[in-house]
Amino acid sequence: MAELSIDQSFLERLERLTLHWQKSFPGLVGGHNASRYSGSGQEFLDHRQFHQGDDLRAVNWRVYMRLERLILKLFQVEPRVPVRILFDVSDSMTTGEPSKFDYARKLAGAMTYVGLVRLESVLLQPFSDQLLDPLQCGGGRHRFRPCIDFLEGIKSAGKTDFMGCVKRFIAEYPQRGLVIVISDFLDDQGCEKPLQYLADFGHEVFLVHLWADEDRVPPYKGEIEIEDAETGEVQKLNFDAEAQEAYTANFDAYARGVREVAQRKGGKYAGVTTSTPVEQAVFGPLLGGGR
Amino acid sequence: MFFLNLGLGEFLAIWGAVSGAVLALYLLDRSRRKIRVATMRFWTPSEKPPEAKHRKRIQQPWSMLLQLIAIGLLLAALAQLRLGSPDRMSRDHVLVLDSSAWMGARVGQMTLLDQAKREAILWVRSLPAGDRVMLVRADALPSPTTMFANNRQATEQALLETRVGGSAVNLKATIDFARQMQRQHGSGLGEIVLAGAFRGHANDLPSEKELPANVRLLPVKADTRNVGIRKVTLRRSPADAQLWEVFVAVKNYSAQVEAVPLAVTFGSAPVGSARFTLAPGAEESARIEFRTKAAGYLEARLVTRDGIIEDNAATLELPEQKLVRVMVYTRDPALIRPLLAANRWLTASYALPETYKTDVDAEIVVLDRFNPPVKPTRRSIWIAPPVQGSPIAMLSPAKNVKLTGWRNDHSMAAGLRSLDLKLDETSVFAPSAGVSVVAESEVGAVVVASKDAAYLGFHPGSGAMRLELTAPLLMANTLEWLAPEVMRRREVTGESVGNVQIPLERGTDPGSIRVLGAGDVAVPFSVVDGTLQFYAGERGMARVQIGSKEQVYSLSLPDVAETVWDVPAKVRRGIPRGLTDSIASRDIWQWLAMAGGLLLLVEWLWFGRTRLPAVQQGSTSMVEIFRRFTAPFRKAS
Repeated sequence: MAELSIDQSFLERLERLTLHWQKSFPGLVGGHNASRYSGSGQEFLDHRQFHQGDDLRAVNWRVYMRLERLILKLFQVEPRVPVRILFDVSDSMTTGEPSKFDYARKLAGAMTYVGLVRLESVLLQPFSDQLLDPLQCGGGRHRFRPCIDFLEGIKSAGKTDFMGCVKRFIAEYPQRGLVIVISDFLDDQGCEKPLQYLADFGHEVFLVHLWADEDRVPPYKGEIEIEDAETGEVQKLNFDAEAQEAYTANFDAYARGVREVAQRKGGKYAGVTTSTPVEQAVFGPLLGGGR
Repeated sequence: MFFLNLGLGEFLAIWGAVSGAVLALYLLDRSRRKIRVATMRFWTPSEKPPEAKHRKRIQQPWSMLLQLIAIGLLLAALAQLRLGSPDRMSRDHVLVLDSSAWMGARVGQMTLLDQAKREAILWVRSLPAGDRVMLVRADALPSPTTMFANNRQATEQALLETRVGGSAVNLKATIDFARQMQRQHGSGLGEIVLAGAFRGHANDLPSEKELPANVRLLPVKADTRNVGIRKVTLRRSPADAQLWEVFVAVKNYSAQVEAVPLAVTFGSAPVGSARFTLAPGAEESARIEFRTKAAGYLEARLVTRDGIIEDNAATLELPEQKLVRVMVYTRDPALIRPLLAANRWLTASYALPETYKTDVDAEIVVLDRFNPPVKPTRRSIWIAPPVQGSPIAMLSPAKNVKLTGWRNDHSMAAGLRSLDLKLDETSVFAPSAGVSVVAESEVGAVVVASKDAAYLGFHPGSGAMRLELTAPLLMANTLEWLAPEVMRRREVTGESVGNVQIPLERGTDPGSIRVLGAGDVAVPFSVVDGTLQFYAGERGMARVQIGSKEQVYSLSLPDVAETVWDVPAKVRRGIPRGLTDSIASRDIWQWLAMAGGLLLLVEWLWFGRTRLPAVQQGSTSMVEIFRRFTAPFRKAS
């Protein structure tokens, strides 16, 4: 079990952040504005006369003792937009130095902590060619330990199948909300369509695109033999500066495509290289993209 | 040319291993590398065909050759390749200059020490500039004069300032000291160079087995003739206090028979002479007597001109002959006169008790059977004092008393043991504070002593006591106890400096021995096998006190050793030739390191610069660029 090192000072800095979304989701109050509707919240809102059929638990019995009138206490409704973090655990995430897999787990842990501090309901959902066992967490920062244990217990395996995973995700979680996807988005079948499908369904999508430096600029020259980390396919080729430039151009074009998919429906995109420290990434590209 | 740190075989083996490793890494670098990637999506092969068809062939042999040569040069620098012969690398030598008394011997216009200095300076000048020299002056003790240094001027100056000492050389200790110095301070083991005659006492000369292999001798011409005084002893005759006996021992150090006259003078006046005819190596002594009471200087001189002048004469200081004056107040001087006349260290005067004076001009006052009205101011002997008017407490006199014991811890009773004495008549003293009992009888103490007076209850010269040996011994002990300084027996000896050995009488208590040097400073000594030994490094006086006996040593004679060192055949001799002409070995590792670095620079400028990878969009780390730039097995293609 690989240990996730998130130090206390980083967590203290994370407490100043919130997870923001822009959309209004059906059935829920949108954004982070306080609702004027009464409901099952915890913040006191107002009093009103009791009507038949009201919940007797909401009656203010102290007032009844004094006035012999049934008065109800009304509470402010709190937005309960579900936050779901999908992070890629396929074999392609294990390449590069430092490993994208470890980086993704740390990033997911940091975002979960931010959500927990703001009393959000956060779902940690690992995936590769299928959705793996998730962890639903909420209730404050003191519930963060199980999240860490969960993240440390995850192992990388399998190919990436975005389409299958998105279909299954939509089927399992019909309630719309904020969906954060942490991945290298390297799916041989392409990831644009499934991501578009996810956004079209009504989720607000935040794509965190991870890559190692050698994923973008391979530092190799001459005759090399490359092996696909997910499929095991081997290819021999001659790689020179021109081929390297072409490679980087292809990669950048692909990253732009992923960004467009995210932004097309009001989502967000952040590209992060694993050579950037996680703390720096959170308060850099992620903070800029997440606002 | 030689390696300081490695052998040639070791160097070649390491160079071969490193070169093989570099070649293997080069070929490994040439081989196709396997890389695990996240996706094959973005990879496109180069449109150019691959250049290297034969990966196991070196594409740029000059690049590889330059790298291998550079590695060889750097390795040679690490192994400290040196120019010259290994024998000529910088070494540390110990130069031992014999400064013993024998080196003062003259041969023509020069002393042996002058010859040794000349040889030593020539040897020092013959050394390569890098060699370091420590100068040690050797006589009875080795004395380091300079530390290991290659300052030739300072070494030569120290050589020239060396003077002849008074003792014989202890070559064994000197060589041990030189070896120890080389082990402790020396980096490269050099030679132990002995400059001098090295004539010493037989026990102080090393045998062939005790000599290290790196000894070199710079000999001097030592066939000089010399006859010298070995020892002069001066003592008073036991029979006559004013008669001095002089014993002079003379030794012939030459290889031929020598005839030398000896003249003895006291206060410049001749008091005796002798003539010696000495075979080679022979030692003889002469006895001369003369009479004097006065103090003065006695000189014994050999009338000859030989190699060493210092041992031709010895001067001793005679102390003044002081006699103890004893004033005896008695009505019957005939009884006590034989007892005092037996002691030659005193002069006795006799007077009647009526003429008693308290401040009489004498060191000791004897009061025979009367008590004066006032105690004498001098030290006194009271013989059978009457009870009335006695200065100490007394009991009634007794007759026919048997002596029962002597208190031998008191000096007055030293050596007295006779117990069968019968005293016809005696006074008996009562014990009191400040009074020590010396002899006891059946009725009490009969001989006692206070601070400055002795009380005898009986007359040692009357009755049955006059026939006993105890009587003069008791009187002599009493006089010696009252005037120890004057009564001390003295001998004056002229000796050579160095280790002084004095045979002790059997049963001598080591606690009673004191050895005093100049200014009465205590000199450390040891008693080994009945012989007192102490060391005097410089000329001067030493006094040895053993009980009541004092021996004065005038250590003015040089300690001329009698044994010529038989130099073993394995010892190298003379100044080695051609040292200054030969090139001393010197370090060239700096040049090798620079040449290696230069070759690597040339190789990089020629082949490597074009292979420096470009920094691409900030995504390639500088560490990676540096790693590839400095990799010793860069691809030559």
